[in-house]
Amino acid sequence: MLPHLIAIGWGVLGLAVCSLAADLPGNLAIDPTAAIKTQVPRVVPNSGRLQWKPHSRDLTEWPSLGYQDKRPTPKPQVTRLEGPSNGDVARGLGIAMDPARGNCVACHQLPGDAWPGTVGNPLLHYRRYGHQDAQVYQQIFDARVFNPNSVMPAYGTFGILSDQDVRDLVAFLQSLD
Amino acid sequence: MIRIAGFPLVWGASTLLGLALVQPPALSAEPAPYREMERPLETYIPHASGDRKFSNTYRYWKDPKNLDWRLAGNPDENWKLNWKFMDPPFNQAIHGGHFALDRGESLYKFLNRGGSFAACLGAGKGGLKGLRTSYPRYDKTLKRVVGLEEKIQICGAIEGRVLENGSYDNSAISLYIAGFSKGMPMRIDVSKGPLKEAFERGRRLYHTRAGRMNFACATCHIHNVGKHLRGNTVTTPFGDVVHFPVYRTKYELQSLQLRFMECNLDTGTQPLLPGSPAYTDLEVFLSALSNGYAVTVPSERD
Repeated sequence: MLPHLIAIGWGVLGLAVCSLAADLPGNLAIDPTAAIKTQVPRVVPNSGRLQWKPHSRDLTEWPSLGYQDKRPTPKPQVTRLEGPSNGDVARGLGIAMDPARGNCVACHQLPGDAWPGTVGNPLLHYRRYGHQDAQVYQQIFDARVFNPNSVMPAYGTFGILSDQDVRDLVAFLQSLD
Repeated sequence: MIRIAGFPLVWGASTLLGLALVQPPALSAEPAPYREMERPLETYIPHASGDRKFSNTYRYWKDPKNLDWRLAGNPDENWKLNWKFMDPPFNQAIHGGHFALDRGESLYKFLNRGGSFAACLGAGKGGLKGLRTSYPRYDKTLKRVVGLEEKIQICGAIEGRVLENGSYDNSAISLYIAGFSKGMPMRIDVSKGPLKEAFERGRRLYHTRAGRMNFACATCHIHNVGKHLRGNTVTTPFGDVVHFPVYRTKYELQSLQLRFMECNLDTGTQPLLPGSPAYTDLEVFLSALSNGYAVTVPSERD
Protein backbone atom coordinates (compact mmCIF):
# COMPACT_ATOMS: atom_id res chain seq x y z
CA MET A 1 0.00 0.00 0.00
CA LEU A 2 2.74 2.43 0.89
CA PRO A 3 4.41 2.60 -2.52
CA HIS A 4 1.05 3.71 -3.92
CA LEU A 5 0.87 6.60 -1.50
CA ILE A 6 4.43 7.65 -2.13
CA ALA A 7 3.68 7.59 -5.81
CA ILE A 8 0.85 10.03 -5.16
CA GLY A 9 3.14 12.25 -3.17
CA TRP A 10 5.78 12.41 -5.86
CA GLY A 11 3.35 12.47 -8.73
CA VAL A 12 2.00 15.83 -7.66
CA LEU A 13 5.47 17.31 -7.85
CA GLY A 14 5.41 16.65 -11.55
CA LEU A 15 9.03 17.65 -11.95
CA ALA A 16 11.48 14.80 -12.06
CA VAL A 17 8.62 12.68 -13.32
CA CYS A 18 9.49 13.93 -16.77
CA SER A 19 13.24 13.91 -16.28
CA LEU A 20 13.61 10.47 -17.81
CA ALA A 21 12.18 11.74 -21.05
CA ALA A 22 14.79 14.49 -21.11
CA ASP A 23 17.54 11.88 -20.81
CA LEU A 24 18.68 13.30 -17.51
CA PRO A 25 19.10 11.33 -14.29
CA GLY A 26 16.15 10.98 -11.93
CA ASN A 27 15.59 12.97 -8.72
CA LEU A 28 16.74 16.30 -10.21
CA ALA A 29 14.70 19.42 -9.44
CA ILE A 30 14.04 20.25 -13.08
CA ASP A 31 11.33 21.12 -15.52
CA PRO A 32 12.54 19.48 -18.74
CA THR A 33 10.17 21.54 -20.88
CA ALA A 34 11.38 24.91 -19.60
CA ALA A 35 14.05 27.07 -21.23
CA ILE A 36 15.97 26.92 -17.96
CA LYS A 37 15.43 23.39 -16.68
CA THR A 38 16.87 23.96 -13.20
CA GLN A 39 14.02 24.82 -10.82
CA VAL A 40 14.09 26.58 -7.46
CA PRO A 41 11.56 25.70 -4.75
CA ARG A 42 9.41 28.43 -3.28
CA VAL A 43 7.80 27.85 0.10
CA VAL A 44 4.19 29.05 0.11
CA PRO A 45 2.80 29.84 3.57
CA ASN A 46 -0.07 27.61 4.69
CA SER A 47 0.28 25.28 1.74
CA GLY A 48 1.18 21.61 1.49
CA ARG A 49 2.74 22.11 -1.92
CA LEU A 50 5.94 23.74 -3.11
CA GLN A 51 5.94 26.21 -5.96
CA TRP A 52 8.73 26.09 -8.49
CA LYS A 53 10.36 28.82 -10.51
CA PRO A 54 13.29 28.72 -12.94
CA HIS A 55 16.76 29.31 -11.56
CA SER A 56 18.84 32.14 -13.04
CA ARG A 57 20.99 29.56 -14.83
CA ASP A 58 20.52 26.06 -16.18
CA LEU A 59 22.74 23.75 -14.15
CA THR A 60 21.71 20.43 -15.69
CA GLU A 61 24.78 20.03 -17.88
CA TRP A 62 27.13 19.42 -14.94
CA PRO A 63 27.08 16.35 -12.65
CA SER A 64 24.86 16.48 -9.57
CA LEU A 65 25.13 14.59 -6.27
CA GLY A 66 22.33 12.19 -7.25
CA TYR A 67 23.03 8.48 -7.12
CA GLN A 68 21.44 8.03 -10.52
CA ASP A 69 23.73 10.63 -12.06
CA LYS A 70 26.32 8.62 -13.97
CA ARG A 71 27.75 11.52 -15.97
CA PRO A 72 31.46 11.89 -15.34
CA THR A 73 33.12 15.01 -13.99
CA PRO A 74 35.25 16.67 -16.73
CA LYS A 75 38.86 15.62 -16.23
CA PRO A 76 41.75 18.09 -15.89
CA GLN A 77 42.65 19.64 -19.21
CA VAL A 78 46.11 20.89 -20.18
CA THR A 79 46.14 24.00 -22.36
CA ARG A 80 48.83 25.76 -24.31
CA LEU A 81 48.78 29.54 -24.63
CA GLU A 82 51.31 30.72 -27.14
CA GLY A 83 52.31 34.30 -27.80
CA PRO A 84 50.77 37.31 -26.07
CA SER A 85 47.50 36.95 -24.17
CA ASN A 86 45.87 39.68 -26.28
CA GLY A 87 43.52 40.32 -23.40
CA ASP A 88 41.57 43.44 -22.52
CA VAL A 89 42.39 44.69 -19.02
CA ALA A 90 39.08 46.50 -18.52
CA ARG A 91 37.05 43.50 -19.64
CA GLY A 92 39.13 41.28 -17.35
CA LEU A 93 38.32 43.53 -14.40
CA GLY A 94 34.63 43.29 -15.21
CA ILE A 95 34.74 39.49 -15.39
CA ALA A 96 36.68 39.24 -12.11
CA MET A 97 34.12 41.34 -10.24
CA ASP A 98 30.95 39.92 -11.82
CA PRO A 99 29.28 37.32 -9.52
CA ALA A 100 27.69 35.67 -12.54
CA ARG A 101 30.98 35.24 -14.42
CA GLY A 102 34.46 35.04 -12.87
CA ASN A 103 33.47 36.13 -9.37
CA CYS A 104 37.17 36.01 -8.47
CA VAL A 105 36.54 38.46 -5.65
CA ALA A 106 34.46 35.88 -3.77
CA CYS A 107 37.70 34.16 -2.79
CA HIS A 108 40.52 36.57 -3.72
CA GLN A 109 41.50 40.05 -2.65
CA LEU A 110 41.39 42.44 -5.60
CA PRO A 111 41.84 46.21 -5.80
CA GLY A 112 38.68 48.23 -5.43
CA ASP A 113 36.73 45.85 -3.24
CA ALA A 114 36.41 46.48 0.46
CA TRP A 115 35.03 43.07 1.41
CA PRO A 116 37.03 40.41 -0.44
CA GLY A 117 37.19 36.69 0.14
CA THR A 118 40.12 35.13 1.98
CA VAL A 119 40.00 31.57 0.65
CA GLY A 120 42.49 32.21 -2.17
CA ASN A 121 45.74 34.16 -2.30
CA PRO A 122 45.48 37.96 -2.44
CA LEU A 123 45.83 39.20 -6.01
CA LEU A 124 46.42 42.88 -5.25
CA HIS A 125 49.91 42.92 -6.81
CA TYR A 126 49.61 39.84 -8.97
CA ARG A 127 52.32 40.80 -11.47
CA ARG A 128 54.91 40.65 -8.71
CA TYR A 129 54.42 36.87 -8.41
CA GLY A 130 56.23 36.76 -11.77
CA HIS A 131 54.10 34.07 -13.42
CA GLN A 132 54.20 33.59 -17.18
CA ASP A 133 51.02 34.35 -19.11
CA ALA A 134 50.70 30.71 -20.13
CA GLN A 135 50.84 29.61 -16.47
CA VAL A 136 48.18 32.13 -15.48
CA TYR A 137 46.01 31.03 -18.39
CA GLN A 138 46.30 27.39 -17.32
CA GLN A 139 45.59 28.25 -13.67
CA ILE A 140 42.30 29.92 -14.63
CA PHE A 141 41.42 27.41 -17.35
CA ASP A 142 41.99 24.38 -15.11
CA ALA A 143 44.01 24.75 -11.91
CA ARG A 144 43.82 21.01 -11.24
CA VAL A 145 46.71 20.56 -13.67
CA PHE A 146 49.01 22.23 -11.11
CA ASN A 147 47.25 20.94 -7.99
CA PRO A 148 44.72 18.08 -8.12
CA ASN A 149 43.18 19.30 -4.86
CA SER A 150 42.78 22.89 -6.01
CA VAL A 151 39.57 24.53 -4.80
CA MET A 152 39.53 26.88 -7.76
CA PRO A 153 36.83 26.18 -10.35
CA ALA A 154 38.16 25.01 -13.73
CA TYR A 155 36.74 27.96 -15.67
CA GLY A 156 37.81 26.70 -19.08
CA THR A 157 37.26 22.96 -18.78
CA PHE A 158 33.79 23.43 -17.26
CA GLY A 159 32.81 25.99 -19.87
CA ILE A 160 32.24 28.80 -17.38
CA LEU A 161 34.43 31.28 -19.29
CA SER A 162 35.45 31.46 -22.93
CA ASP A 163 39.00 31.48 -24.25
CA GLN A 164 38.82 35.26 -24.71
CA ASP A 165 37.41 35.71 -21.18
CA VAL A 166 40.41 33.87 -19.73
CA ARG A 167 42.78 35.92 -21.89
CA ASP A 168 41.16 39.11 -20.58
CA LEU A 169 41.63 37.89 -17.01
CA VAL A 170 45.29 37.10 -17.68
CA ALA A 171 45.81 40.63 -19.01
CA PHE A 172 43.97 42.11 -16.03
CA LEU A 173 45.96 40.13 -13.45
CA GLN A 174 49.28 40.90 -15.11
CA SER A 175 48.38 44.59 -14.93
CA LEU A 176 48.17 44.53 -11.12
CA ASP A 177 51.49 45.80 -9.89
CA MET B 1 19.52 1.83 -9.00
CA ILE B 2 15.82 1.72 -8.25
CA ARG B 3 14.31 4.14 -5.79
CA ILE B 4 10.94 5.67 -5.24
CA ALA B 5 11.57 9.38 -5.19
CA GLY B 6 11.10 11.10 -8.49
CA PHE B 7 9.78 8.13 -10.43
CA PRO B 8 6.30 7.84 -11.82
CA LEU B 9 5.08 4.54 -10.56
CA VAL B 10 2.69 2.59 -12.70
CA TRP B 11 -0.37 2.13 -10.53
CA GLY B 12 -1.07 -1.51 -11.18
CA ALA B 13 2.53 -2.55 -11.21
CA SER B 14 3.59 -0.75 -8.08
CA THR B 15 2.43 -3.55 -5.79
CA LEU B 16 4.41 -6.07 -7.79
CA LEU B 17 7.34 -3.71 -7.91
CA GLY B 18 6.99 -3.01 -4.23
CA LEU B 19 9.68 -5.43 -3.18
CA ALA B 20 12.20 -4.06 -5.62
CA LEU B 21 11.30 -0.46 -4.87
CA VAL B 22 12.05 -0.60 -1.19
CA GLN B 23 15.52 -2.01 -1.61
CA PRO B 24 18.29 0.24 -0.33
CA PRO B 25 20.24 1.92 -3.12
CA ALA B 26 22.07 -0.98 -4.67
CA LEU B 27 25.16 -0.46 -6.74
CA SER B 28 24.49 -1.22 -10.35
CA ALA B 29 26.88 -3.24 -12.48
CA GLU B 30 28.14 -0.27 -14.45
CA PRO B 31 31.34 1.34 -13.16
CA ALA B 32 31.11 4.45 -11.00
CA PRO B 33 31.51 7.69 -12.99
CA TYR B 34 34.67 9.77 -12.62
CA ARG B 35 34.33 11.99 -9.55
CA GLU B 36 36.82 13.99 -7.55
CA MET B 37 36.83 13.79 -3.77
CA GLU B 38 37.92 16.22 -1.12
CA ARG B 39 40.62 14.57 0.95
CA PRO B 40 41.14 13.32 3.46
CA LEU B 41 37.91 11.51 4.24
CA GLU B 42 38.56 11.84 7.94
CA THR B 43 37.05 9.52 10.48
CA TYR B 44 34.27 11.66 11.79
CA ILE B 45 33.14 11.33 15.37
CA PRO B 46 29.33 11.24 15.11
CA HIS B 47 28.87 13.81 17.86
CA ALA B 48 28.84 17.61 18.02
CA SER B 49 32.09 17.48 20.01
CA GLY B 50 33.73 15.91 16.95
CA ASP B 51 34.15 19.52 15.83
CA ARG B 52 37.21 19.71 18.08
CA LYS B 53 39.15 17.86 15.38
CA PHE B 54 37.94 20.25 12.68
CA SER B 55 37.09 23.92 13.23
CA ASN B 56 37.56 23.62 17.02
CA THR B 57 34.84 26.20 17.59
CA TYR B 58 32.83 23.73 19.72
CA ARG B 59 34.14 25.39 22.88
CA TYR B 60 32.44 28.64 21.86
CA TRP B 61 28.97 27.20 21.16
CA LYS B 62 28.75 23.93 23.11
CA ASP B 63 26.88 25.62 25.94
CA PRO B 64 24.20 27.88 24.42
CA LYS B 65 23.39 29.30 27.85
CA ASN B 66 26.88 30.71 28.27
CA LEU B 67 27.71 32.24 24.92
CA ASP B 68 30.32 34.96 24.83
CA TRP B 69 28.24 37.81 23.53
CA ARG B 70 31.29 39.87 22.66
CA LEU B 71 31.89 37.41 19.82
CA ALA B 72 28.36 37.91 18.51
CA GLY B 73 28.96 41.62 18.16
CA ASN B 74 32.19 41.24 16.22
CA PRO B 75 31.99 40.46 12.50
CA ASP B 76 35.38 38.72 12.59
CA GLU B 77 34.43 36.50 15.54
CA ASN B 78 30.73 35.94 14.86
CA TRP B 79 31.28 32.71 12.94
CA LYS B 80 32.87 31.01 15.95
CA LEU B 81 29.46 30.95 17.64
CA ASN B 82 28.13 28.92 14.70
CA TRP B 83 25.05 31.22 14.65
CA LYS B 84 23.86 29.86 17.97
CA PHE B 85 23.26 33.43 19.13
CA MET B 86 20.35 33.51 16.70
CA ASP B 87 18.62 30.56 18.34
CA PRO B 88 16.09 30.75 21.16
CA PRO B 89 15.83 31.64 23.93
CA PHE B 90 18.17 34.42 22.88
CA ASN B 91 15.71 35.95 20.50
CA GLN B 92 12.42 36.29 22.32
CA ALA B 93 10.81 38.33 19.60
CA ILE B 94 7.94 36.86 17.66
CA HIS B 95 9.11 35.76 14.24
CA GLY B 96 7.82 33.64 11.36
CA GLY B 97 8.85 30.45 13.14
CA HIS B 98 6.23 31.06 15.82
CA PHE B 99 3.47 31.43 13.24
CA ALA B 100 4.65 28.20 11.61
CA LEU B 101 4.50 26.51 15.00
CA ASP B 102 0.84 27.52 15.36
CA ARG B 103 0.09 26.24 11.88
CA GLY B 104 1.89 22.99 12.64
CA GLU B 105 -0.07 22.50 15.84
CA SER B 106 -3.47 22.91 14.23
CA LEU B 107 -2.54 20.68 11.29
CA TYR B 108 -1.11 18.01 13.55
CA LYS B 109 -4.13 17.98 15.84
CA PHE B 110 -6.46 17.74 12.87
CA LEU B 111 -4.52 14.90 11.23
CA ASN B 112 -4.06 13.03 14.49
CA ARG B 113 -7.67 13.23 15.66
CA GLY B 114 -7.86 9.44 15.39
CA GLY B 115 -4.36 8.87 16.75
CA SER B 116 -3.13 7.09 13.62
CA PHE B 117 -0.95 9.98 12.39
CA ALA B 118 1.23 9.90 15.51
CA ALA B 119 1.47 6.13 15.34
CA CYS B 120 2.52 6.33 11.70
CA LEU B 121 5.25 8.81 12.61
CA GLY B 122 6.56 6.34 15.15
CA ALA B 123 5.46 8.07 18.35
CA GLY B 124 5.55 5.62 21.25
CA LYS B 125 4.13 5.86 24.75
CA GLY B 126 6.00 9.08 25.33
CA GLY B 127 4.07 10.71 22.50
CA LEU B 128 6.00 13.25 20.49
CA LYS B 129 8.57 13.84 23.21
CA GLY B 130 12.03 13.01 21.89
CA LEU B 131 10.73 11.92 18.49
CA ARG B 132 12.71 14.58 16.64
CA THR B 133 15.99 13.49 18.23
CA SER B 134 15.81 10.01 16.70
CA TYR B 135 15.17 11.05 13.09
CA PRO B 136 16.35 10.15 10.45
CA ARG B 137 15.63 6.53 11.37
CA TYR B 138 15.32 3.15 9.73
CA ASP B 139 11.72 2.57 8.72
CA LYS B 140 10.69 -1.06 9.03
CA THR B 141 7.69 -0.65 6.73
CA LEU B 142 9.63 1.04 3.95
CA LYS B 143 12.80 -0.96 4.70
CA ARG B 144 15.00 2.10 4.31
CA VAL B 145 16.15 5.20 6.15
CA VAL B 146 13.78 8.18 6.14
CA GLY B 147 13.96 11.72 7.44
CA LEU B 148 11.18 13.20 9.57
CA GLU B 149 9.84 15.41 6.77
CA GLU B 150 9.66 12.51 4.33
CA LYS B 151 7.79 10.48 6.93
CA ILE B 152 5.39 13.36 7.49
CA GLN B 153 4.67 13.40 3.77
CA ILE B 154 3.99 9.66 3.74
CA CYS B 155 1.82 9.70 6.87
CA GLY B 156 -0.02 12.79 5.65
CA ALA B 157 -0.90 10.97 2.42
CA ILE B 158 -2.35 8.11 4.46
CA GLU B 159 -4.57 10.67 6.21
CA GLY B 160 -5.53 12.07 2.81
CA ARG B 161 -3.51 15.27 3.03
CA VAL B 162 -0.88 16.48 0.55
CA LEU B 163 2.19 17.48 2.58
CA GLU B 164 5.01 17.68 0.08
CA ASN B 165 8.46 17.28 1.55
CA GLY B 166 9.79 20.81 1.96
CA SER B 167 6.40 22.52 1.78
CA TYR B 168 5.35 25.01 4.44
CA ASP B 169 2.73 22.73 5.99
CA ASN B 170 5.11 19.76 6.10
CA SER B 171 7.87 21.81 7.74
CA ALA B 172 5.35 23.42 10.11
CA ILE B 173 4.32 19.99 11.39
CA SER B 174 7.99 19.00 11.63
CA LEU B 175 8.62 22.16 13.64
CA TYR B 176 5.70 21.43 15.95
CA ILE B 177 7.01 17.89 16.53
CA ALA B 178 10.54 19.21 17.12
CA GLY B 179 9.10 21.53 19.76
CA PHE B 180 8.43 18.50 21.98
CA SER B 181 12.18 17.75 21.87
CA LYS B 182 13.27 21.29 22.60
CA GLY B 183 16.37 21.14 24.79
CA MET B 184 16.83 17.41 24.23
CA PRO B 185 20.06 16.28 22.54
CA MET B 186 20.05 14.65 19.13
CA ARG B 187 20.75 10.91 19.33
CA ILE B 188 21.18 9.18 15.97
CA ASP B 189 22.88 5.81 16.38
CA VAL B 190 25.09 5.38 13.33
CA SER B 191 27.24 2.64 14.83
CA LYS B 192 25.51 -0.22 13.06
CA GLY B 193 23.01 -1.33 10.46
CA PRO B 194 21.30 0.76 7.76
CA LEU B 195 21.98 4.05 9.56
CA LYS B 196 25.68 3.34 9.61
CA GLU B 197 25.56 2.59 5.89
CA ALA B 198 23.62 5.82 5.28
CA PHE B 199 26.12 7.75 7.42
CA GLU B 200 29.03 6.38 5.40
CA ARG B 201 27.32 7.19 2.10
CA GLY B 202 26.50 10.68 3.40
CA ARG B 203 30.08 11.21 4.52
CA ARG B 204 31.29 10.27 1.07
CA LEU B 205 28.75 12.57 -0.60
CA TYR B 206 29.83 15.40 1.66
CA HIS B 207 33.31 15.05 0.15
CA THR B 208 32.21 14.49 -3.45
CA ARG B 209 32.80 17.38 -5.81
CA ALA B 210 30.01 18.19 -8.24
CA GLY B 211 28.43 20.89 -10.35
CA ARG B 212 29.58 23.81 -12.44
CA MET B 213 32.21 24.91 -9.93
CA ASN B 214 33.25 21.38 -8.95
CA PHE B 215 32.74 22.03 -5.25
CA ALA B 216 31.99 19.51 -2.52
CA CYS B 217 30.35 20.50 0.78
CA ALA B 218 33.72 19.75 2.39
CA THR B 219 35.55 22.09 0.01
CA CYS B 220 34.37 25.00 2.15
CA HIS B 221 32.86 23.51 5.28
CA ILE B 222 35.85 21.35 6.19
CA HIS B 223 38.84 22.96 4.49
CA ASN B 224 37.96 26.65 4.63
CA VAL B 225 36.01 27.12 7.86
CA GLY B 226 36.51 30.61 9.26
CA LYS B 227 37.55 32.09 5.93
CA HIS B 228 35.57 34.75 4.11
CA LEU B 229 33.61 34.33 0.92
CA ARG B 230 32.99 38.04 0.54
CA GLY B 231 30.36 38.87 3.17
CA ASN B 232 29.96 35.30 4.37
CA THR B 233 32.19 33.42 6.76
CA VAL B 234 32.26 29.65 6.46
CA THR B 235 31.03 27.78 9.56
CA THR B 236 31.38 24.24 10.86
CA PRO B 237 28.93 21.48 9.84
CA PHE B 238 28.78 20.25 13.44
CA GLY B 239 25.76 21.03 15.59
CA ASP B 240 23.87 22.57 12.70
CA VAL B 241 20.76 20.46 12.12
CA VAL B 242 19.18 21.06 15.53
CA HIS B 243 17.56 24.34 14.50
CA PHE B 244 15.80 23.04 11.38
CA PRO B 245 13.20 23.63 10.03
CA VAL B 246 14.15 27.25 10.43
CA TYR B 247 12.38 30.51 9.70
CA ARG B 248 14.28 32.38 6.99
CA THR B 249 13.34 35.84 5.87
CA LYS B 250 13.74 34.77 2.24
CA TYR B 251 12.34 31.26 2.55
CA GLU B 252 9.44 31.56 5.01
CA LEU B 253 10.27 28.16 6.47
CA GLN B 254 13.18 26.03 5.38
CA SER B 255 13.65 22.33 6.03
CA LEU B 256 17.14 20.84 6.11
CA GLN B 257 16.75 19.25 2.69
CA LEU B 258 15.50 22.52 1.21
CA ARG B 259 18.66 24.03 2.66
CA PHE B 260 20.64 21.36 0.78
CA MET B 261 18.92 22.54 -2.40
CA GLU B 262 19.96 26.11 -1.62
CA CYS B 263 23.55 24.98 -0.91
CA ASN B 264 23.62 23.22 -4.27
CA LEU B 265 22.20 26.24 -6.10
CA ASP B 266 24.64 28.61 -4.39
CA THR B 267 27.56 26.51 -5.60
CA GLY B 268 26.27 26.02 -9.13
CA THR B 269 25.19 22.41 -8.69
CA GLN B 270 21.91 21.06 -10.01
CA PRO B 271 19.81 20.41 -6.87
CA LEU B 272 17.97 17.18 -6.17
CA LEU B 273 14.39 16.82 -5.02
CA PRO B 274 13.70 16.78 -1.28
CA GLY B 275 13.54 13.17 -0.14
CA SER B 276 16.11 11.99 -2.69
CA PRO B 277 18.21 9.11 -1.34
CA ALA B 278 21.38 11.22 -1.62
CA TYR B 279 19.87 14.08 0.41
CA THR B 280 18.58 11.67 3.04
CA ASP B 281 22.06 10.17 3.39
CA LEU B 282 23.49 13.68 3.77
CA GLU B 283 20.83 14.37 6.40
CA VAL B 284 21.88 11.26 8.32
CA PHE B 285 25.52 12.31 8.17
CA LEU B 286 24.87 15.87 9.33
CA SER B 287 22.34 14.78 11.98
CA ALA B 288 24.97 12.49 13.47
CA LEU B 289 27.38 15.45 13.58
CA SER B 290 24.78 17.14 15.82
CA ASN B 291 24.49 14.22 18.22
CA GLY B 292 24.58 15.39 21.81
CA TYR B 293 23.47 18.89 20.87
CA ALA B 294 20.08 20.19 21.99
CA VAL B 295 17.18 20.75 19.59
CA THR B 296 16.45 24.49 19.43
CA VAL B 297 13.23 25.57 17.77
CA PRO B 298 11.69 27.77 16.52
CA SER B 299 14.84 29.40 15.22
CA GLU B 300 15.37 32.16 12.71
CA ARG B 301 18.03 33.10 10.21
CA ASP B 302 18.46 35.96 7.81
